[in-house]
Amino acid sequence: MLVKYGCRLLPPAGEQSIIFPMSIIQIKDLVKTYRVYQKKEGLAASLKGLVKREYKDVNAVAGIDLEVEQGEFVAFLGPNGAGKTTTLKLLSGVIHPTSGSAQVMGYTPWKRDNRYRRRFALVMGQKNQLWWDLPAQESFRLHQQIYRIPPQQFDETLAEISDLLDITRLLKQPVRELSLGERMKMELTAALLHSPDVLFLDEPTIGLDVVAQHNIQQFLKFYQERRKITILLTSHYMKDVAALCKRVVIIAQGQIQYDGSLEGIVDQTTSHKLVSLLLDENEIRTEEFSKYGTVESIELPRVVLRVAREDVAKTLNAILDNHTIHDVTVEDPPLEEVIAEMFSKVDPSIQRATDEDIAASADHAGTESDA
Amino acid sequence: MNIGFYIIIFQHTNMIGEEGGWKQYEFFVFLATTWFINSIVQTFFMPNAQEFSELIRTGNLDFALLKPIDTQFLISFQKMDWASLSNFVMAVALLVYSLINLTSQPENPLTLHWSMFLLYPFFIFCGVMIMYSIMVALASTSIWLGRNQTLYNCWFYITNFSRYPMEIYQRGWGWALWGAFTFVIPVLVVVNIPARIMAQPLRPVGHQWYWPFIALAATLISVLSSRFVFKKALGAYRSASS
Repeated sequence: MLVKYGCRLLPPAGEQSIIFPMSIIQIKDLVKTYRVYQKKEGLAASLKGLVKREYKDVNAVAGIDLEVEQGEFVAFLGPNGAGKTTTLKLLSGVIHPTSGSAQVMGYTPWKRDNRYRRRFALVMGQKNQLWWDLPAQESFRLHQQIYRIPPQQFDETLAEISDLLDITRLLKQPVRELSLGERMKMELTAALLHSPDVLFLDEPTIGLDVVAQHNIQQFLKFYQERRKITILLTSHYMKDVAALCKRVVIIAQGQIQYDGSLEGIVDQTTSHKLVSLLLDENEIRTEEFSKYGTVESIELPRVVLRVAREDVAKTLNAILDNHTIHDVTVEDPPLEEVIAEMFSKVDPSIQRATDEDIAASADHAGTESDA
Repeated sequence: MNIGFYIIIFQHTNMIGEEGGWKQYEFFVFLATTWFINSIVQTFFMPNAQEFSELIRTGNLDFALLKPIDTQFLISFQKMDWASLSNFVMAVALLVYSLINLTSQPENPLTLHWSMFLLYPFFIFCGVMIMYSIMVALASTSIWLGRNQTLYNCWFYITNFSRYPMEIYQRGWGWALWGAFTFVIPVLVVVNIPARIMAQPLRPVGHQWYWPFIALAATLISVLSSRFVFKKALGAYRSASS
């Protein structure tokens, strides 16, 4: 699946020391520390702050090593404030690191070389770069000029992307009159007009309804597979990650805690599976099920049990022998739960949310539709 | 209009500065020059400088930094305030009016030379560049300060000094101001040099020939040092949380 990043792309002048072929993104011991002023409450403290200030060092990124090959679609997961966005900002050259090095396509991002900036894009779900009062089309034109996209290529790319995202009819509408989902599609279009080789997506589906989320996922999947571009994505929606990324990098407290496949997280983190049973109407001895495993929920005729991985087969046999069961499903626990467990393992200060919390937040995410 | 104020001043005295100073119509040329420069600065750069501070505070400077184009250029020319150009028209009118009066006055009539019409716009351009540089340097400080609400006031206090002929400062402790605003923050050469070229070209008092060269050097140094400050500031950009 991986296409080696090789002789097609030459290193920029002055950076010949890099040996090719190499990974398209190479991060070595990257550190970003912010010095944050600690303001105490009250007027007296404010006055004191004029003379003597107390600072605290916040390690947003505390030593990250990562290599990404050309054509990979990698997800960054982590709790808020884990350093995901900071890493993306470092890789896009928006901010300078405190120490460490990074190379993307052979360029050091924070040198802000124009040749580099012509070949990647950053999309931030929480910020918008399109002109608020103008139709998106006008912003796209400006992009064409800034990125020096040949007119024909520009027209073709725009037609292709706007067709895929189904936004052609919206191009002439002022951006402020678009819904959140439509605006996000416009932002994505703007980012892809210059056909970047590397794409950084920072929570591209934040606040979107299920349908819009799904559309954007489908688009990204299709586009990435066809163009073989390299994408780094951060998201809090596990559906995004499950749908798009084979490789998952979990960052917490500014460091990489896990790097591997999504299934790997489940295997590594959880030791149990959820067994869901559809009982026969006459089966009322529900209290007996607690001997097979932890009872997660009883909503007759359905009972959900939490059973240790290695005992699943044995337990199922025992249940089928002793009870009348119409249907059985065996599942891994919900991904959200697994990730929450993972986060709480690496950072004990993060309280592991209860299942009810997760269910509630999932509902909330589902109903939080755009305007 | 502050032109009325100056007419009153010229009822008290007939010249600002000694020998080779500014009489009323010469001073009106100076005033027109001030208007030219201010209108250009306000049309092209003022809205952008304010916007820059806002971009930093909100973190939207991120997008400017991503673009494969010189960031200072992108930031400096995003918006134009066309309304401010009306002052430019006023300046043209005042300049024409003053020049007519100066060339037709019985005593020492002003003779116009074609070179004046080349040098005048050129040094106005230099003046605009100096003002622009000061503005960029001031606006860049908001990267370190997080938010610079007094930007406009700072700008006003500094550029206020450029609005009067430099002869005004050449008395007593005013010399210190004169030195500071000529050689450290060269706002005094901004209006004085083009105005002098237009209004008093044939009265070389002392060693005035070197002033255009000082203005040129000041322009170059201002532009380069403001660019240095801007680049330095971008290196310290923290980008607001998102």
